[in-house]
Amino acid sequence: MDPERLRSAAAEYPYLRGLVSIPAGALFIVAALGNAGWGPLEHDWVFVTAVLLIAAACAAINRFYNEHYGRVTPSTRQQVKAVAVTAAGVLLMLVAATLLRSRASWSLDLPVNPIPAVFGALMLAYSAAVAGPRPHHVVIWGGLMVAGLVPVWDGADPSNVGLVMCGVAVMLNGLLDHLQIVRTLGPASPSLGRG
Amino acid sequence: MADDELVLDKLVHEPGRLAILTVLSSVNDADFLFLQRTTGLTKGNLSSHLTKLDDAGLVTIEKRFVLKKPNTRVALTPSGKRRVADHWERLDRLKALADHARAAMPSRAPSPSSKNSHASTRFPSGSSK
Repeated sequence: MDPERLRSAAAEYPYLRGLVSIPAGALFIVAALGNAGWGPLEHDWVFVTAVLLIAAACAAINRFYNEHYGRVTPSTRQQVKAVAVTAAGVLLMLVAATLLRSRASWSLDLPVNPIPAVFGALMLAYSAAVAGPRPHHVVIWGGLMVAGLVPVWDGADPSNVGLVMCGVAVMLNGLLDHLQIVRTLGPASPSLGRG
Repeated sequence: MADDELVLDKLVHEPGRLAILTVLSSVNDADFLFLQRTTGLTKGNLSSHLTKLDDAGLVTIEKRFVLKKPNTRVALTPSGKRRVADHWERLDRLKALADHARAAMPSRAPSPSSKNSHASTRFPSGSSK
């Protein structure tokens, strides 16, 4: 018995339920297409319907995890850590994004794409705080951050492209998180009884 | 170091129960299915171990319905948290003692005549049985 493996499997499981990230990533892409007024998404009701469908998909995937892998409430310490990192991260994200490139008078107005840059940094910090971080977290979130910081984003507002990049990264990371659960706990199987 | 400090808690030391308690020590609570997935125990074995742990006051078991399906939620009690932490601490100390004893032994090259000379030497192996 490896106690560390058991402890980390239990502590990280709630944060590695990665299939939920696939509709969440789609939300980024839908938001970008909505901002750009692409196709039917230019109508508000289509966007709202898409968001409701995405929320329903998230709920269904959450139920899949509960029924095939079980439910866990993370330790209070870990919940506090996750909330603190998220709150601090969102605040820093807003400040950093505005500082890097915005219409604010104090903005550096650099030729970068602030959304993927700061979102990648936030997710890297979040992953490090709650689940490791695993090598794929470093590659995906680090890669997203670097891609946003490469100074090639001069010209038109790159926010929508940034949102699409974030959406794809969220989906890919979710898929790899799910594979991590499968490696640790085995494939989803309906044969186990429920107590 | 007093000898009784290294006496293992038999209730906790059983591998199945130790696995359950170790999983529960890193979360607030987990349900029956998750414990089954992480420990690899069968439904009957897990149920039996949980009953023993509940009787000893190391865990609390809450049976409820979630979306009309039965769900059993298990959490460590403060006493359970203390007992499992103490147990892992004792195992670590035993392991350290065993490592120390091994290091203190004179190293000898194995020879055909001496290859069974350590057969009766016993060390705490860290095995959970």
